[in-house]
Amino acid sequence: MCWFHWIAITSLIFSVALFSYQFARLVILGKPEDLSVSSGNVTKGVVYSFTKAMAPGAKESAYLHMPTYAGGIIYHLGTFLSLALFFVLIVGFPSFNNPLKFIFSVLLFISFFAGFAILIKRILNKDLKSLSGLDDYISNIITSLVQLMTAVYLLIPDAEIFYYLSVALFFIWLPLGKTKHLLYFFFARYHLGFFYGWRGTWPQKSE
Amino acid sequence: MDGGEPGLKNRNNMQKIDKVKRDRALELLKGGSDSKLLTHLNACVRCGLCAGSCMFYIAHKESKYIPAKKVDLVSSVYRRYCTTMGKIAPALVNAKELDDNMAEEMVDLLFGSCTMCGRCVKHCSIGVDIAYVVRKGREMLSAMDMVPASLQATVDSALRTGNNMAIPTEEFVDTIKWMEEELIDELGDKNARIPLDEPDKNVFYTLNPREPKFFPLSISAIAKIFYAAGENWTISSLFYDVTNYGYFNGNKEEATVIARNLYDEIHKLKGNVLVLGECGHGTRANRWEGPNYLRKSYDFDMTTAVELIVDYIRQGRIKLDNSLNQELVTIHDPCNLVRNGGLLDEIRFVVKSAANNFTEMNPHGNENYCCGGGGGMLAMSEYNDRRLKIGEIKANQIRATGAKVVITPCHNCVDQLSQLNHTYKLGIKIKTIAELVADALIIEK
Repeated sequence: MCWFHWIAITSLIFSVALFSYQFARLVILGKPEDLSVSSGNVTKGVVYSFTKAMAPGAKESAYLHMPTYAGGIIYHLGTFLSLALFFVLIVGFPSFNNPLKFIFSVLLFISFFAGFAILIKRILNKDLKSLSGLDDYISNIITSLVQLMTAVYLLIPDAEIFYYLSVALFFIWLPLGKTKHLLYFFFARYHLGFFYGWRGTWPQKSE
Repeated sequence: MDGGEPGLKNRNNMQKIDKVKRDRALELLKGGSDSKLLTHLNACVRCGLCAGSCMFYIAHKESKYIPAKKVDLVSSVYRRYCTTMGKIAPALVNAKELDDNMAEEMVDLLFGSCTMCGRCVKHCSIGVDIAYVVRKGREMLSAMDMVPASLQATVDSALRTGNNMAIPTEEFVDTIKWMEEELIDELGDKNARIPLDEPDKNVFYTLNPREPKFFPLSISAIAKIFYAAGENWTISSLFYDVTNYGYFNGNKEEATVIARNLYDEIHKLKGNVLVLGECGHGTRANRWEGPNYLRKSYDFDMTTAVELIVDYIRQGRIKLDNSLNQELVTIHDPCNLVRNGGLLDEIRFVVKSAANNFTEMNPHGNENYCCGGGGGMLAMSEYNDRRLKIGEIKANQIRATGAKVVITPCHNCVDQLSQLNHTYKLGIKIKTIAELVADALIIEK
């Protein structure tokens, strides 16, 4: 292993350690304490929160904004693909054949452009711009960069150093910036399901 | 219609925040003991897709009304004072100081631009409980003595007199006696009653003070239902107020005192079931928040007027003839009873049982738009223009149904809808569930 491999691995350990701390803290704090009498079912509410309530047809944030929603989904899939490829590439197994590398690269170029489009929208749209700070731009750029560099590295092995450094940057920023929603998203859905499940809103009684 | 920054111009209790006040506010953000708070302060990605779900943004088309902006006011302060990155490099993670400007912006947006209806919550791409974060922000402002004066006056009235409209007990008792006489005349039964302060009754009923003050016929309507059901019930002449504006002003201590009024009174009168009158936030504050304010499970049953009427119909304790309500009716779903209270099906069951010509609004139920009067907006006259402006969405919804009658089991909503009816010339009647059911009752003698 070279020095840039170790930088990437060290960054990964940093990321995992911070996320583990945040995860443990949330788990230890436990579920919300509620002394009222429930009129619903929390388990069903949480399941609903992660399933039907997430369907594009159930959320205005999806069905009123289909291009952005689709771009976001592609972008997130690209991020997870990049993560998966990192683990495969760092251990050097298995060796990809050229067609597979090409397919992954194309997919990652597409997801990179989805992320780039979201960045451009944030810059040009006055509403989004008013909401945005450095974190929003840094998070997007770092995440998009890692997808781009993964795609490039698959096609051009000489880009290895730049690839691993971009991955290292990504891992360092992941638990610090708004990218930490990688963890908090799941807890947010849980708490929402708990809230609506407790009160009998999710799932609706007649469903 | 919106005349600029009403909250900032008219607030007369705005003071510069000092370190003591700021520390009190920041203490509320320490998420060390609250997984839910910690989660929602860290989950928003500021995608801005919640904008189209918020009445304030839809009506005004201004960036500041985007729900994510309201979350960011609170979470950026959290990041500044409660996270390592926020302390070391605040600019990198959008962390901000809690200074006078920030506090003023929080007052304007968290009190004056959010009804805490939770519509954005349901539609959030992540699942951030935006209304919960807004409420936390209100708690911070309350800790800094920055509650809008008009809202605080409503809470003070409840603390001082036992009801938020400061109705003297004699006046309340006179109104009840008057309604009892009306009931006797209507039913032709001199034994018909509206019992006051009677111990050992099954039902301990509560009212929104708007009822004795402005809508006394809704009291005789529920009394007529109790009469038909043969219910054993009473109202307290001292603590009958179902509302709790302490839920809105963010002061948990005050909310606890108000919730305890009902808790103690039902014990004093030895009632079995606390029945929450037709009030959305009153139901929420008592049923869902009350035991948490008082830090104990209640040792009596609690239900809403809507659910009680559902039981009466299902058990055959009252009989309804829905042909007695012929006009086309629609339902306005109170946010705190439906999206935040799970009573969507119950409300429809009662309305369909009592009226034979029914149509839904679009959207409705859990997707419903707030009337615009929630979150304490009706009490905050500083924001009247905004309140009526966002109410235009509801007015247009109602107009589109062609309904002549709007049913809503919430007196706050009744009040806002009445103002919308006048402002937007809707030409509708607004009724509570009890009023609709009372008109369909078959009284067997």
